[in-house]
Amino acid sequence: MEIPLALALILAVGPVAEAGDLADAAGGRDHWAFRPLAHTRPATSSDWSRSPIDDFVLTGLEAAGLKPGADADPLDLIRRLYLQLTGLPPDPAAVQAFVEDKGADAVERLVDHLLNSPQFGERWGRHWLDLARYADSNGLDENFLFREAWRYRNWVIDSVNADLSYDRLVLEQIAGDLLPFSSIEERDRKRIAAGFLVIGPKVLLGNDVERQRMEVADEQLDTIGRAFLGLTLGCARCHDHKFDPIPTADYYAMAGILTSTQVMEQRYMLGEQRVMERLAGLGEDGDVLDGIYEEYWRGLPKMKKTREQAGSLLELLKNGEATALEEFVANHPGAASAGAGDQAEPIEKRIEAQNGLIAELDAAISNPPPIPPRAMIPADADAPGDESIRRAGQFDRPGDKVARGFLGVVAAGVKPGIPEGSSGRMELGRWLTDVEAGAGRLTARVLANRIWLHLIGEGIVRTTDNFGRTGEEPSHPELLDYLARELIDSGWSVKSLVRKIALSRTFGLSSESDAEAYATDPDNRLLWRANRRRLEAEALRDAMLLSAGELDLTRMQSTVWYLGDQATAVGKNEVRRRTGFSCRSVYLPVIRNDLPELFDAFNFADPHATTGSRPRTNVATQGLFLLNDKMVIEAAEAAARRVLKDETSGGAAARVDKMFELILNCKPSEDERQRVLAFIQDAAGKNLPKQDEPDAEFRAWSMACHAMFSLSRFQYVE
Amino acid sequence: MSCCHFAKAPNRRDMLRVSACGFGHVVLSALAGRDAFAARDLAADPWNVRVPHIAPRAKRVIFLFMWGGPSHVDLFDPKRLLNEKAGKPLRGKDVGSDRDRLGEVLGSPFAFAQHGQSGVWISELFPHLAQHADKLCVIRSVHTEGSAHGEALLRLHTGQANLVRPSIGAWVSYGLGCESENLPAFITISPPRGHGGVQNYGAAFLPAIHQGMAIGSAEIPVAQAVVPNLTHPRPESGSQRRQLDLVQAFNRDHLSESGGDQGIEGLIESYELAFRMQSTLPQIISLDDEPSEIRELYGVGTEPADNFGRQCLLARKFAERGVRYIQVSTDYTWDHHNKVQEGHIAESAKVDRPIAGLLEDLSRRGLLEDTLVLWGGEFGRTPMAENGDGRGHHPQAFTMWMAGGGIRGGLTFGSTDDFGYRPVENPVHMHDLHATLLHVLGMDHERLVYRHAGRDFRLTDVYGKVVREILA
Repeated sequence: MEIPLALALILAVGPVAEAGDLADAAGGRDHWAFRPLAHTRPATSSDWSRSPIDDFVLTGLEAAGLKPGADADPLDLIRRLYLQLTGLPPDPAAVQAFVEDKGADAVERLVDHLLNSPQFGERWGRHWLDLARYADSNGLDENFLFREAWRYRNWVIDSVNADLSYDRLVLEQIAGDLLPFSSIEERDRKRIAAGFLVIGPKVLLGNDVERQRMEVADEQLDTIGRAFLGLTLGCARCHDHKFDPIPTADYYAMAGILTSTQVMEQRYMLGEQRVMERLAGLGEDGDVLDGIYEEYWRGLPKMKKTREQAGSLLELLKNGEATALEEFVANHPGAASAGAGDQAEPIEKRIEAQNGLIAELDAAISNPPPIPPRAMIPADADAPGDESIRRAGQFDRPGDKVARGFLGVVAAGVKPGIPEGSSGRMELGRWLTDVEAGAGRLTARVLANRIWLHLIGEGIVRTTDNFGRTGEEPSHPELLDYLARELIDSGWSVKSLVRKIALSRTFGLSSESDAEAYATDPDNRLLWRANRRRLEAEALRDAMLLSAGELDLTRMQSTVWYLGDQATAVGKNEVRRRTGFSCRSVYLPVIRNDLPELFDAFNFADPHATTGSRPRTNVATQGLFLLNDKMVIEAAEAAARRVLKDETSGGAAARVDKMFELILNCKPSEDERQRVLAFIQDAAGKNLPKQDEPDAEFRAWSMACHAMFSLSRFQYVE
Repeated sequence: MSCCHFAKAPNRRDMLRVSACGFGHVVLSALAGRDAFAARDLAADPWNVRVPHIAPRAKRVIFLFMWGGPSHVDLFDPKRLLNEKAGKPLRGKDVGSDRDRLGEVLGSPFAFAQHGQSGVWISELFPHLAQHADKLCVIRSVHTEGSAHGEALLRLHTGQANLVRPSIGAWVSYGLGCESENLPAFITISPPRGHGGVQNYGAAFLPAIHQGMAIGSAEIPVAQAVVPNLTHPRPESGSQRRQLDLVQAFNRDHLSESGGDQGIEGLIESYELAFRMQSTLPQIISLDDEPSEIRELYGVGTEPADNFGRQCLLARKFAERGVRYIQVSTDYTWDHHNKVQEGHIAESAKVDRPIAGLLEDLSRRGLLEDTLVLWGGEFGRTPMAENGDGRGHHPQAFTMWMAGGGIRGGLTFGSTDDFGYRPVENPVHMHDLHATLLHVLGMDHERLVYRHAGRDFRLTDVYGKVVREILA
């Protein structure tokens, strides 16, 4: 297999050069990912192609002596489009309309319809959340709840739906809190975007402040490097990168920007002063309300103490211990009401006054202010400045200071021009998508590859988060550069690139196998057919609930409000791993180190770190989940009720057809219909325990619906 | 970081293997799914046993985890001076610390004695365990970082705290592969849910099949523990096989139409295995088939040992069935900031008989020869008092012990100063312990690497030294 393929694919990692030369930033610029974008025209053009995308793919196929397979069946195509663009399968009416639509632009209209539906952002926003290591809790050592993280999640979804250009998307996530605004709403929206920097996992306890500062910056750099640039910057923390042209000085030049940024703050939490993620109030009076709220919790121990003392004082009053009372009042001024200390008043009055104070204190203690609207928002540090290189990556071994700046390999000698007194995040945010003087070309390649992966099922560069020398080379380098250029030329519009790819003939290929092509290219790197893909955890659940008629498409805010401040509290916790919401899965709680079984079993992205492409495993826990999970069974029961609800003239056979349409988006063949009918008759007839006989028919149908959910045809996209 | 060892990406193999934990498609996932090019040529099949680097002395590990941090000076590391100086200040200079005053010394109320022919010192709190003294290698000089539970647990289980790394059990599963058709290679019984939780038995960037399978969690008695989704919740469960036959017939049609898609094949296999596990796993988890004499040996049925006894007996059943790494955890009950005396009496009573029973049972069955048993907490406890009668967290020095395959029994290794504050002779860092554990299993900790995000990772990062002196 290697010989013919080698002509078309350059998969092998090139010979590894001496490590010493590689960290030389300027010298490393000949690596493919750092080169200027090529302006190559496809070598082949044919009637088969609908766009240059197809020409590039065809060129690769022909070089290996292959040709593209057939176009996908309309039923497969509409299901693929719906699931890839919205994460939901089509309903029977949409399928029928599409199949009957003979217009030449039927696919185009469908794609535009899906791109404009709010479900697009829920699907594609989730792709971004994988990269942003989004979670509703801290994870690591102390798993505190991120009560406000959902605002960032919804900002992502909204921004994708609004097709916020990617350069803005990047800038707002890096420096949203520093951008100008013309209304409080706009200010808040941009601030929430910058929550990207705050939602990372952090070691919270037993940590030196300086060490924590460096570790937080390291985590942010790792995320920024992999998510935006497809580079593993972390390697350069301790020594010049051995394989990529990233010297340690560049690492600390960028780290200085992040250590000049605050994402942590002192807050009172669970009875003590702690270093926690930074929160800020939203809205006109958000900061005031936040202040009142924090003041309450900070002052609570003292209030309780005062309440206790006020009680003791009352006892002294009642017992008439005058001397002790006088002394007590002198020592605990706050514990005595004005009237209680007034010796001129009768004792009853004084007791009454003290009771009044106690009632006030009790009321204050038992009425905490509501949690104000606030969000996880960074801020520039009080004294932003350059960072010292830490020798061997040890936070307590500072070496020379490095001026804040960016990666030399991407753009040599660019002076960031960071104004005095600011962190440099504005400049970093712009540099990341600056095509001329910044990382824009690399960023565009990385993003184009991600979009390709999510539509086609495999990246042009399969190592989606590593475009460095240890990553793979692109299977279609010219296509990748073409897509990157299209992205930039469209003003960084993600929707526009999704549209171009979705409308290509390549996207619309059938997934059918071909023995000859398989022998040459078993991995389908050259795209002679469509990649068959399994539904992700979210799409699997959403598709079941949708066909059962149980999915509520209303967008959700928080789904973790009922959890305590420690998301995975030690001890009994009945509400953990909750998925019993009728909303789409993108809104379900993402508790680090405590993901719901659905996510755990079906390869959800580990929310501790950037995940560009989720692992694809096939394990027994998935089988157990599909066979026995309550959510699956309940969805099957709801689907069965739906199937049985309407009277049909066609009897059981018509119901089987309806079940197929609802769940599998197609009609059964006669043979399939008969097999399912036989199963239902059998199950309803003699195989249920006596006491369930009244239910026998319903139970049989719900088993049949459950069986449909268990089919590979349901769980795969052709 | 170990950035310097790279191997070329392996060629893909068309191979399908069925086991409890993964199927054909998994094979491809490491290649296609993300930039997880496993280093070394065997990586294409996640269950391919990596060639032992060294002659293995043990085939599996049972780790008995005492969550909260047991006090070494009350259990295995007697310090005469603690009692002599009880109530007196412990000054930093007495133990080589920069701090002026560390607190007041708290004496140990417990009597220590030497046991076995080897004369290993064990406190009166472990009378049953003491009978196995000659099997134990007591390491008194273990040290780690992290004075809070979360950080220390993560370092104990994954070697690191600030970044997410595979747990040691996942590394062992990755290195040794799966021996059982019906069980995964790594099982954790009653694992802690806090302090890193799942991360402590997670696979991180290793293929997901190497993640530990959890049975219950620490706060639930193991007798009530359930493996999620092992039983069908509805009355028609009796027809499940018939239902599955229908499903599989459709799936096989799909498989053949697809020209043998490995994902679909994996799906089909996963249903069959899941169906089998529904009957086999409860059987294994149930202790009903164990003779009463064995149950008694572990303290099953006798409070306060019943729960931990069940856990240890379960561990033996898993060990017999080829599970590579088994962890047994107590609840979060060893953290005695107050009343360390009462606390340690109560906690020792829960685990002493079960642990002794496990060592006895393993040894009778000839399993101890190739099973490494490890005992310990995330850190030790201070020689100084906290809250008058308790002890604080102490990662600077504490005791862990090993027994079984490849380990010299009857040995006391390393020592601490007169107060048990710092290691004096032969300090053993957590990384060293990890390196030694892998070594005993036949793996060189510097060569057991996994390529992820462009570089090779290992359990011991750039650290770790095998403690050769304790090897048999």
